[in-house]
Amino acid sequence: MSMDLTTASLRLGLVEINWTFAFQLINTLILYLILRKFLFGPVTKFMQTRENEIKDQIQHAKDMDAIALGHKAEYEGKLALAEEEGKEIVKKHTLRAENRAFEIIRAAESDIESMKLNAHRELERERVKAVNELKDQISHLTIMAASRVVEKDLNEADHKELINKFISEVGETRWQS
Amino acid sequence: MGAEGFGPRIVFHIGSIPVTETVTVTWLIMFVMLVFSILATRNLKREAKGFQLVVEQIVKVINNLTKQNMGERNAVWAPFVGTLLIFIGLSNIIGLLGFRPPTADLNTTMSLSITTFVLTQVFGVKSKGLGGYTKGFMEPIPFLLPLNIIGELANPISLGFRLFGNIVAGVIIMTLLYGALGSFTESLLGLAVPLLQAGVPAVLHIYFDLFAGLLQSFIFTMLTMVFISGAME
Repeated sequence: MSMDLTTASLRLGLVEINWTFAFQLINTLILYLILRKFLFGPVTKFMQTRENEIKDQIQHAKDMDAIALGHKAEYEGKLALAEEEGKEIVKKHTLRAENRAFEIIRAAESDIESMKLNAHRELERERVKAVNELKDQISHLTIMAASRVVEKDLNEADHKELINKFISEVGETRWQS
Repeated sequence: MGAEGFGPRIVFHIGSIPVTETVTVTWLIMFVMLVFSILATRNLKREAKGFQLVVEQIVKVINNLTKQNMGERNAVWAPFVGTLLIFIGLSNIIGLLGFRPPTADLNTTMSLSITTFVLTQVFGVKSKGLGGYTKGFMEPIPFLLPLNIIGELANPISLGFRLFGNIVAGVIIMTLLYGALGSFTESLLGLAVPLLQAGVPAVLHIYFDLFAGLLQSFIFTMLTMVFISGAME
């Protein structure tokens, strides 16, 4: 019996259950274990992990976005508030400055007014004083002149009133100017 | 045990146990899948491209197929579904490389369909309880109990024989065709060169190996998912 092609090509029956059944049962189990351990397990786990990572990242980005938006609104509000406040401050100070200027001007005006008034009064007083002095002098001179003329000592006290009256009637208008 | 016919060849013996080409080709497929799986998952990157993209797509498609047919909570069945789909699919189209498809052996298809049958019964009892499981056979009326049992037992047989029949038919037809084409070339053209064998079988290879092969692997897997998830509901 030679190990030639005839013996090598011995065939089992086409439709029969034999030892191959057991082989194939074990082979299927082993192939299942191989595919589960080396292909489906790692790849599914890997894809799941990656999906979760991406989901986390998207969620994180969304969270950050929300936080940023919150910050933005907050800062915008603060900015608006600061602007408003600044305006308020400027307005307040402008008003105060205006008031102050007005007060200063008014005080100055009133000072000037009172100074003017004082000056007028002084002037008036000086004038009155001068007039009175002049009146005295004139009355004195008149009496002296008259006494020379009449060679008689006039009673100064008696006549002074008379003279003054005369001066007043004659000179009042003239002294005025 | 005959020397001729369309049965699988015996490659060697372990003791008195014959090991056929069905088994050795299955080992080849297992080895290829082992190498593929290790290479595929060796260096997974966050940004998938090239080969990793293909691997991810395969796993994703099988995961989604399982979820669609068995529900979200049965996603753990994906490796089993994937094993059936990949093993039967590769077995069916390996004829293109000149190997005898392992699924052209009734032992292979029956071992797969009986596995499905056992899983169906075990998980049916597990999820419904023994009472609920037995009650399922009394529906819609207890009178139909024998028919229900026959129907349940017919499932693995039809599942296994459908796949076996489709694939073995392809194998037989292709073998006959090659033989016929060989003698045609000799008698019609008078040439010792098998000229007609090149080209002409390609169309039938596309139909029997690619089309029927992938279709049958899909049918087997779909029916398995339907049976198991049906028993669990």
